[in-house]
Amino acid sequence: MRRWLTVFFVGGSIAYRGLFNWIRPAMYIPTMLGSPLFQLIFFTKLGQFAQAQSRDFYIVGNSVQVCAMSSVYGMTMAVANERWFGTLGPLLASPANRAAVFLGRGMPVLANGLLVSAFTFVAGTLLLGFRPGLAAVPALALVVVVTVVSCTAFGMLLGSIGLRAKDFFFAANLAYFLMLLFCGVNIPLDELPGWMSAVGRCLPLTHGIAAAREVAAGASLLHVWGLVLTELGIAAAYAAAGLALFRVLEHESRRSAVLDAY
Amino acid sequence: MRTLRVIASGFRMNLKMLGTSSFFLLTSVVQPIIFATVAFYMFRSGGRNGTLLYASLGAGMMGVWSTTLFGSGGMIQWQRWQGTLELGAAAPPAIALIYLPFSLANAFTGMYAMAATLVWGRVVFGIPLHFAHPWLFALSLPATVIALGLMGLVLASTFILYRHANALSNLLEYPVWIASGLVFSTSLLPDWTRPISWCLPPYWGVLAIRHAALGGDVRGPLGMVLALGLASLAISSVTFRWFEHAARARATLSLT
Amino acid sequence: MLVIEAVDLRRTYRTTTGVIRRRPLDVEAVRGVSFAVEQGELFGLLGPNGAGKTTTIKMLITLLLPTSGDARVLGMDVVSQARDVRKRIGYVFGGDRGLYERLSARDNLRYFAELYGVSGKAQRTRIDEVLELVGLKGREQERVEGYSRGMRQRLHIARGILHDPEVVFLDEPTIGVDPVGARELRQTIADLIAAGKTVLLTTHYMFEADALCDRIAVIAKGEIVGEGTPAALKAGVAEGRVTEIEVFGVDDGVLSRLRVVDGVRAVTVEERDQKQLLVVQCAADRELTAPLLAQLDGFEVGRVTSREPTLEDAYVALVGAGD
Repeated sequence: MRRWLTVFFVGGSIAYRGLFNWIRPAMYIPTMLGSPLFQLIFFTKLGQFAQAQSRDFYIVGNSVQVCAMSSVYGMTMAVANERWFGTLGPLLASPANRAAVFLGRGMPVLANGLLVSAFTFVAGTLLLGFRPGLAAVPALALVVVVTVVSCTAFGMLLGSIGLRAKDFFFAANLAYFLMLLFCGVNIPLDELPGWMSAVGRCLPLTHGIAAAREVAAGASLLHVWGLVLTELGIAAAYAAAGLALFRVLEHESRRSAVLDAY
Repeated sequence: MRTLRVIASGFRMNLKMLGTSSFFLLTSVVQPIIFATVAFYMFRSGGRNGTLLYASLGAGMMGVWSTTLFGSGGMIQWQRWQGTLELGAAAPPAIALIYLPFSLANAFTGMYAMAATLVWGRVVFGIPLHFAHPWLFALSLPATVIALGLMGLVLASTFILYRHANALSNLLEYPVWIASGLVFSTSLLPDWTRPISWCLPPYWGVLAIRHAALGGDVRGPLGMVLALGLASLAISSVTFRWFEHAARARATLSLT
Repeated sequence: MLVIEAVDLRRTYRTTTGVIRRRPLDVEAVRGVSFAVEQGELFGLLGPNGAGKTTTIKMLITLLLPTSGDARVLGMDVVSQARDVRKRIGYVFGGDRGLYERLSARDNLRYFAELYGVSGKAQRTRIDEVLELVGLKGREQERVEGYSRGMRQRLHIARGILHDPEVVFLDEPTIGVDPVGARELRQTIADLIAAGKTVLLTTHYMFEADALCDRIAVIAKGEIVGEGTPAALKAGVAEGRVTEIEVFGVDDGVLSRLRVVDGVRAVTVEERDQKQLLVVQCAADRELTAPLLAQLDGFEVGRVTSREPTLEDAYVALVGAGD
């Protein structure tokens, strides 16, 4: 168990530094802080211009969604870059527990996602006049943590797909943009066609954002418990799917050399 | 004559390289369609149905800007990775001349974005394509695209010096969308941002295109687009020389 | 005790061919390879590119499943006991890739120490030890992206022996390393043997195999075509002498006449600019220079030399035999 935990924490954080392309300040500040900030301003102003929803609708939606900057891109890189660096061979040749290796990489991603979200919420408060009651902050924080967990789990699945797919960056970008459309970030789910809102309900973020909006407007945690649990369930499902796919690919790779470009 | 041939061959080559890149497909077609869709639903939800064409044009212009931006950044970055940036700098023509056609080709492919959002809006959302001044529209779009290409050239020159061009590209995407008022009016922004907007070719470009489609003065903004395009060209010819020199001094042309 | 055992190992890759109508195509990379390596031995797999060396090694280190046949490492089956095998072997491959570029050498090693379950306390001393062993001490805090080809290779080796494995698999470790660096690497490999490890090495450098290996298996087109000590291989194929003759413009007709000269075992031709070098393997007790030159009457003949056979002669004869 101790072995498992050190692979999980120590291994996870070393690998993250090695695999996450944007860790240097020169890359980190523009992509992880700059881009979310301007995304927030863009959609809030667009919403104001379209006169569709309240200002807080966009601020909460985008502040939560930007965690995907870390969860989707960061996690995809933390898994799929193994192939790019040619380190997948040595990794697979090691006896380490795969779940510990795989889930451990989610930890730093998760922490970073929280930071990005928190930064964007603060920016919304300072620049755009977002004013949740102080009492709402702890509940809001909890909801955001859960949502970032599920987004990171989704990133794990994308990362595993990226191990096999040639162009994982394409998938990560596409996932990020589609979240803006499907997950109720900028458009209420009930204004989307039925099939689109159905897709949205199977994705991470959707329930978390809905819960965050209610909590920010003063609702208690008890009131949004169902949404939070659903989001957690979605997280578990994606993490399990990602790990299972990783295992399948490893097995397939031994059988028919599918990952053999390492 | 030689100059024209250098430009033409660079243009062709870059179009070919872009055509094989899935990232290009993403920025020039998929991303604009997704953003257009988001904008359509937001406009429709606010009851601003009459402005859906406004959203189409704006989302198209966003795509033109993204393609120019990532094209310019990516073009330098890829050349650096492939080790061809040094070759370009070592070739006899002026370095700005080598990259001019690349930039123009990038911006040209941005027209795919405009076509994609207009067709998408027409087919999926039934937005009628009635243009108030079709001929002026047909003139404004290429003029804007060329001006953006020239602006991309100025950016490309800075990327020669700055290794993390991708990061700069990521940073400049939304702010230019915002400051150029591509899908919403810049009157929603603080007053101090006004002069920034005025310096941006896409600000005038989208005005020209929007007025050509929906009605309004086209000639004024169109003149500004052309003027800013020429200014960009002049600036880039100077900055390319500077930055190339600085890059040689700092050894940032190659990765090795 | 047998440390590595391969029994009739086979490996087929399935690919597709054809642009419009894709047909499955089976490529046999390894076709029935058998060999055994004793404890403390340095065993070489020698063969040209694409001979099946890497595929064989990947089956032994559990990264590929054999299509058929058996392989055991330290008495454990590489298919059913993969995880136990992994714990006790080290794997090093040649090339620039396979390192976390943005991390320092120390962090690369720390990460793999975690993956191989080297405990926290042991890690610090062990990492220093292997850095010392491969000669990277003092540079270990630098990022790998700034490393030279030779330094990267030494880091690969350090990574491979970090957990003190009993068996080390080295897949073309000196490829692309400069001569001085390659010599140092060979010394490191020799040190591994001195430390009691069993080593399986693949290479296509003859002199490297000759200098290092206790025994060699020559592999060509997925099959072992010769096996033994370097000395035995040399003796087996060309016990005798090698006569080299520089000529100009000989054709196949002449070659076939040379091949039937009494006492000649094999004739190969190396093209060198305008001239050709005939390498003739002769029986030991015969002086064949005169009868050979008689067959070359009418052609321009340059330098003629006679020498002891090298491993390369044996290798060329073995690999070329299948053509």
